[in-house]
Amino acid sequence: MIRSLVRPLLAGLVVCAVALTLAARVATAPGPASWADDLTPITKADWNYDRAAHLIERAGFGATPAEIERLAALSPDQAVARLVNYESIDNSALKPFDESGIWDRGMDPFPPSRAEAVRLARDRGEGLGEKMLSPGSPRRLQPIVDKFFYGLYANQIETQRLGLWWANRMLATPRPLEEKLTLFWHGHFATGENKVRDYRMMLQQNLMLRANASGRLQDLLIGILKDPAMLVYLDNGENVKSHPNENFGRELLELFSMGVGNYTEHDVREAARAFTGWTNDVLTYKFDAAQHDFAEKTFLGRKGTFNGDDIIRIILEQPVTGEFVAGKLYRYFVREELSPAVRTQLGREFHESGYQIKPLMTRILLSKDFYSPASYATQIKSPAHLVVSTYRKMGLRETPTIPDFGRMTGGLGQSLFDPPNVAGWAGGRTWITPATLLQRGNMFRDVLFPDVKNFRPPDRAMSATDQRVGERLAMGMNITEATREGDAESNKMIDRDEDYNTRYGGWAGYQIAFKRTKLIPRQPMSIDLVSMVEAAHADTPEKVVDHFLRRFLRASLAEKDRQVLVDFLKSKRMDERSLRELLYVVLSLPEYQLG
Amino acid sequence: MYGIGVGGMLPLILSRTSAALSAQALQGTSVEKHPNRILVVIELSGGNDGLNTVVPFGDPAYYRARPKIGIIEREVIKVADGFGFHPSMVGFERLYKDGRLAVVHGCGYDHPSLSHFSSMGFWHTGVPNGGEPLGWLGRLADATYPATSKNVIVNLGNSQSLAVRGQQHSPLVFDDPGRFRRDGTDEEKHALAMLSESRTTSNATLDFLANTAKNATESSDFVRRASTSYRTPVDYGQGGGLAGNLQRVAALIAAEMPTRLYYVTYQGNSFDTHVQQADLHTRLLMYTADAVRGFMDDVARLGRGDDVAVMIFTEFGRRVEENGSLGTDHGTATPMFLVGKAVKGGFYSRHPSLTDLDDGNMKMTTDFRRVYATAIKEWLGYDQTQAVLKGTFAPMGVFA
Repeated sequence: MIRSLVRPLLAGLVVCAVALTLAARVATAPGPASWADDLTPITKADWNYDRAAHLIERAGFGATPAEIERLAALSPDQAVARLVNYESIDNSALKPFDESGIWDRGMDPFPPSRAEAVRLARDRGEGLGEKMLSPGSPRRLQPIVDKFFYGLYANQIETQRLGLWWANRMLATPRPLEEKLTLFWHGHFATGENKVRDYRMMLQQNLMLRANASGRLQDLLIGILKDPAMLVYLDNGENVKSHPNENFGRELLELFSMGVGNYTEHDVREAARAFTGWTNDVLTYKFDAAQHDFAEKTFLGRKGTFNGDDIIRIILEQPVTGEFVAGKLYRYFVREELSPAVRTQLGREFHESGYQIKPLMTRILLSKDFYSPASYATQIKSPAHLVVSTYRKMGLRETPTIPDFGRMTGGLGQSLFDPPNVAGWAGGRTWITPATLLQRGNMFRDVLFPDVKNFRPPDRAMSATDQRVGERLAMGMNITEATREGDAESNKMIDRDEDYNTRYGGWAGYQIAFKRTKLIPRQPMSIDLVSMVEAAHADTPEKVVDHFLRRFLRASLAEKDRQVLVDFLKSKRMDERSLRELLYVVLSLPEYQLG
Repeated sequence: MYGIGVGGMLPLILSRTSAALSAQALQGTSVEKHPNRILVVIELSGGNDGLNTVVPFGDPAYYRARPKIGIIEREVIKVADGFGFHPSMVGFERLYKDGRLAVVHGCGYDHPSLSHFSSMGFWHTGVPNGGEPLGWLGRLADATYPATSKNVIVNLGNSQSLAVRGQQHSPLVFDDPGRFRRDGTDEEKHALAMLSESRTTSNATLDFLANTAKNATESSDFVRRASTSYRTPVDYGQGGGLAGNLQRVAALIAAEMPTRLYYVTYQGNSFDTHVQQADLHTRLLMYTADAVRGFMDDVARLGRGDDVAVMIFTEFGRRVEENGSLGTDHGTATPMFLVGKAVKGGFYSRHPSLTDLDDGNMKMTTDFRRVYATAIKEWLGYDQTQAVLKGTFAPMGVFA
């Protein structure tokens, strides 16, 4: 510890007074190393700007220097209470999701595949709210196929809009912990639109997770196991008495509550039986008694005619459930390495409190461990956090849409409402590959120097093949000609079934989806860095660099690296363009990936 | 003049960077018996129809189940008693006759999922019906190389596959090598190169990030140059993305990239042939067979034929019975392939019955993790397959 204190001090002495104050500030940022794994709360004497900045970085999405100063002016108890007891803060300025209204009656229930949509339509003469064309018409099933693709694409577009809506909430909310916890639960109870294919279910789940985000674990568990999106995602509709599907029971035990090694395969099968008949009628939970197995089960050593609610109750009686969930919250908010002692302690308290999340969060966020060097500026920001917190630190009130938020985070491995699988985002170092690390910087260059002319709108994009079909139709070709690709064999295949043309259906589906979904606004970032540095009285390259470091970086930068930034700016005029170039370099630093 | 100068410099720059990369990767590695060997894993995304790939023409049940889309016997490329390849797979016929191709029948796992998404996840993690967050190749790299080794895994694709996700190793993932670069003006890039030097701080995560940044700066140029300058006389066939990606792998091997594990995928759900599958499937299989045959010939030409093996898999096979749309629906057991000079060519394991079915699907005869274990132990020479695969799976004696 002494070494790490002395080294920056020495470096500071050598250079100049400005650097000295910076180095001294950095050295006091985290607490002493002995704070690691110490859960006792910090006191007013331990509280300062850097620790307030650390708190809001983790319990929220970072903040501007002015906001951090306000937090630092409180006591640590007050600061944490303000974040945790957020219900009293008025957030009525946040708008509900503005739905395009893409769904019409005939589309429920949406068939799992195009093949199935066609099969049903052949039997019934209609499907997805569209009628088959009259006998003798060419491609009689085309309206149903078009509608099927419309359903797919419109839901994808609506889910992109939903992601942007959430990003804007994260950016503008006066209750940052509410959104940070909601994002945690989204990863914990991972559910993806790519399988659910219904943005309404995804929105409904998101609202449920937010409403219970800091409440009690049992409400979240019951909520998620009766949640239509989750029921669809884990195929619980196929979990029936005659043929139990273990997926649901297994994910509940392994990922949602207890973790592997704390139950047997037999427990998984018995839990699955207890959840038979738990299904959904589109957007509503439904208990299908005819498919439920009412017979006796043995679960975690208990015997009874258990149903799903009983299983949840028994799981919550297990102390290991407290440890598993508290441990995962700790790893999300504090750091990857969790000591067995801390896990046991937090788990016991969480269990004994009746699984109340607020006291657990307060305990974690006030602990010396949270402010120790092992925790401070050691966490790799998730892509969503990286983008949102950058905008928050810039002082933006709205997410720019050129470049597109979803493409930025998606390219880095995190699409909201589409986690990679049921285990959610692995996080930590798995966010980083050499290519994504470069991309994490490159995307901010696109933000700072937006290319409005070549921007491809994510909500009005289709594949090159679909685009070609449209161009050929516009030239007056018929459907067969317009959907012909280079290879004659493949063309025959696309149009061989005389009842419909798949490739035309893809193109037509996009056309309807483009008409019926609301446009994402096209808005590049609006920021004035010259005014920003003037307001901070930063009138020399050194002061500008220090302002940017203070505003954006939580990890400390070595003096020689700071000097690289100063020299970079010294070679230029301090105009808007140069400041943006400097900021791009700062936002591409390895240090900037840490929160 | 300038152009010529750069051209003349190129091989020198490449070999120097390559030496630096090799030195990094090989630091402190002694856990495997064969540190020069390379495994290339090819993912046939979408659920390849195994029954029309390795055709059981000797079994009348095959033709009963597939009266319209079954491959007629006289067209099958017959290579074994009762089994043969789809007629478009001339490339596989060549590899088989040279004794370089092994077919493992009936691969799958217990309690199979018919969801692309779930099943692919199970093959990626190697932990079916579990919530394992890391991929089997990622865990393999973590077990065999220290975290300081660079570029142990290269994943060619537009996103990182779960299969290559490790705790310690960050795979090099890229699709278009031309886009694997740092953006910005020369001044910005110069400053960032200086700021991407390794750090030694008390913050291990920062040191990891700085090392990755340094590696990115070095490897992105290397990969871009290696890929764009590579020329080969070998014909990889017409085929789609796979031929191009395998050629990129060959380019990196030629440039002496220290990578041990390459992962190559098809775009989207290419093999998801629900409807009128015949022509599409013919094309996909032709592309695959040609590209793999071309790749093996190319690495042999580079003098690395003894060091490269290929494994081919898909997330599930398809139902035995054809559907009403001249296609096939999601199924279960499916063959895997191992290719290489060290492979003892032939058929392994037992083909599942086409009549003793589970809800219309074949019952798998080989846990796919036995094939993973075969590649890990017999090919790469790493004995602790149990730690990587989280269970005991017997290798199959495929490699000489």
